Amino acid sequence: MDNKTFIIAGIVVAILIGVVAVFMASGDPDSLESTALMVQGQKTLTGGTPADAEIHEDTVGKFSYESPMPDYSLGETLGPLGGIIAIVAGTLLAFGIVLGISKMLVAKKKVKEAKANQ
Amino acid sequence: MHIPDAFIPIWQGVIYWIIALIFVALALRWARNEMSEEKIPLIAVLAAGIFALQSFNLPVSMGTSGHLVGGALAAIILGSPFAAVFILTLVLIVQGVLFGDGGITTMGANIINMGVIGGFVGFYTFKGMMAATKNITIAGFAAAWLACVVPAIACAVEMYFAGTFPLSEGLVAMGLYHALIGIIEGFVTVVAIRLIVAARPDIVDFKIEVPAVKGVNA
Repeated sequence: MDNKTFIIAGIVVAILIGVVAVFMASGDPDSLESTALMVQGQKTLTGGTPADAEIHEDTVGKFSYESPMPDYSLGETLGPLGGIIAIVAGTLLAFGIVLGISKMLVAKKKVKEAKANQ
Repeated sequence: MHIPDAFIPIWQGVIYWIIALIFVALALRWARNEMSEEKIPLIAVLAAGIFALQSFNLPVSMGTSGHLVGGALAAIILGSPFAAVFILTLVLIVQGVLFGDGGITTMGANIINMGVIGGFVGFYTFKGMMAATKNITIAGFAAAWLACVVPAIACAVEMYFAGTFPLSEGLVAMGLYHALIGIIEGFVTVVAIRLIVAARPDIVDFKIEVPAVKGVNA
């Protein structure tokens, strides 16, 4: 498999996983949230999570940041479409950033090697 | 297991950031020395795949969900725990900044857990299990399972230091939930390793003797 086919196949698989996640991902809290709910007495270790369970966060003295696409979503009006856009954007961005930085590092290495050979 | 900002005091977050940055610097040095043009597509595709896998919260019963980490996969395929640190750091930056998945002050702790601990545990478990069993499926599964569970244990300890969870409850809950998530992580990691090796045996580099897998650099 050549580089181009490998990249396309890889990105297609990644996006497919992400898009399936938009529709199929579990709505239950993740392990850390679930443990927090248990510690706060809202669920047991092995029991289900009540629908109205909510983590009480102690934000005093803690940093706070509002991300542009919280929870991999663009808000309720766009619904699943917003989720798909967010996932596709994130997947391509992760790919692009790692590609860009890797290329930069390899280019730097080449310049260094060329200088050493002179 | 992405720790949000509210779960760790800022001063502790700073300490984790400093430790994480040391490993990020070592990962950049690894990338400068070990990365070649041929490996770039693999590294970038792994980043895309790990981002997507981490966005998929799978049900693990007990009112809990969990996603895969991917640290073992990156470290095994690229033959270095620093590969996991390199990829996971960049993926965690995208997740934290754009999607609020994991905090900003806690990003150092998340890099340590998923990138550093996940990468090192995954890589060295794989190496040890390959030496013992010579079986890529067993070694890959064990590496991925441990690289999912040990970071969760570390996360529970950090939560204890932060005063967010009591130690024993945190350890039991995080350990139990990730022991289950780790089974899925094990299967997916083995399938991913086999698919990538089948597609591009020329760029996969386990850095260990792998007699069972044809065409892979030892």
